[in-house]
Formats: sequence, structure tokens, C-alpha cells
Amino acid sequence: MEPAEQSALSQALDQLWARFLPQIEERVSILESAAAAFSANQLSPAEREAASAAAHKLAGVLGTFGLTRGTDLARELEIVYTGEGVPALSPHIAEITAELRDIIENRK
Amino acid sequence: MSHSILIVDDEDDIREVAALSLESIADWKVYVASSGAKGLALAIQHQPDAIVLDVMMPVMDGPATFRELQMNPKTAHIPVLLLTAKVQSSDQRRFADLGVKAVLFKPFDPLTLADQISSALGWD
Repeated sequence: MEPAEQSALSQALDQLWARFLPQIEERVSILESAAAAFSANQLSPAEREAASAAAHKLAGVLGTFGLTRGTDLARELEIVYTGEGVPALSPHIAEITAELRDIIENRK
Repeated sequence: MSHSILIVDDEDDIREVAALSLESIADWKVYVASSGAKGLALAIQHQPDAIVLDVMMPVMDGPATFRELQMNPKTAHIPVLLLTAKVQSSDQRRFADLGVKAVLFKPFDPLTLADQISSALGWD
């Protein structure tokens, strides 16, 4: 691939990122609400399901925009909210969610 | 050689990035659908060279859509690749056992997606 083509693709991806950022941020907001509810021991089954779906979608898309760390964090949250294990992560849900927000807001 | 491909995914961001990648890098003709039912209709109408199906979609998921495609004589010959964000090996085996050509993983790299698909389909 020529450098010019790569640059054009990169610019086009940036435009798509800008276009889809609101829905990506909305998914993070769902995770933030779930993290708060989890900390208060008030996470409902519906909130858990919504958080699992949001984490799954973020895991699938963030790396596509170059945010591989974001995909890793979202995948950790998906595992927690689907109850597939790694209970050691549970105390760190708020921390992981905050890092996810930071990564998304600071994408160059 | 240029190819045509149908991307079926309920997530619009994934659809758009995949389409951008395959059109701009590989110069393929890309059709997109937001559901299994719409994908089935487009596959019948356009007869793409291959179909990439998201696994987790509401109503008719990827495996169900694949079965519909296989049962329809107008689409049974079209090779299908599944696209999934699931990384557990049990899921991967289950998807591979369906009889699809390959299982691709999210997140994909837009720079190499066309190469992955070409390689899986022997288009190299």
C-alpha cells in the first residue's frame, strides 16, 4: 500500500471515528453507570446485561480504530459482566472503566 | 482481480470501517446489510463473491443466517466467513464447526482485512 493511500485511509478512519464517537461514548456511559451500581451493590440484571453488551461492542470496535488497549479493557469488563469468571477483576471495575473513558477521550 | 463482498453486521461502525477498508484498499465492490434478513435478501439480489457475517446479531444471528443461506439454492454456493468478538476457544470451535470458510475476529485491522479474507478464500 502506498503511503498516500495509507494516509487517505487513516484520514477516512478519523472521520468515521468522529462520526461514531457519540455512540462509543454512550456505551462507555452505560459502563460507568453499571460500575457505580456495582460499587453500591445495586447492579440489576438489566444493567448487567446492558453493560455486557456495551463492553462486547466496544471490545469489537476500539481496536479497529487503533485502540488495542481499549479493546483489552472492554474485554475484561465483558468477562466481569457476563459472569464468565475472573472475580479478581471485580474490585477494579471502576478503575478499568475510568481508563477506558480516558483512552477514548484521548485518541489522537 | 476485483471481487464483490457482502458485510452483514448490526453495528454500523463496524460495517462502515469494513466497507471503507475493503473498498479503498482492495477496490472490492462492497454491499452492507444491518441484519441477517436484509443480508439474505441482498445476497440473493447481488450474488456477491463472499459474505462476512457478524455472529451476534438480534433476531437472526450469524449462525442462523448462515443456515438460511445454505438452505437457499440461490445463495448456498457463496462462501461465508463469520466475524466475531468472542475470543474463547470453545466459541471459536463451535463457529468453525458450522462449515463456514473461516472465522475472523474483531477488532480487525482495516489495513489487513482484505488480505485476511483473500487468504481464507484462496483469492491470493
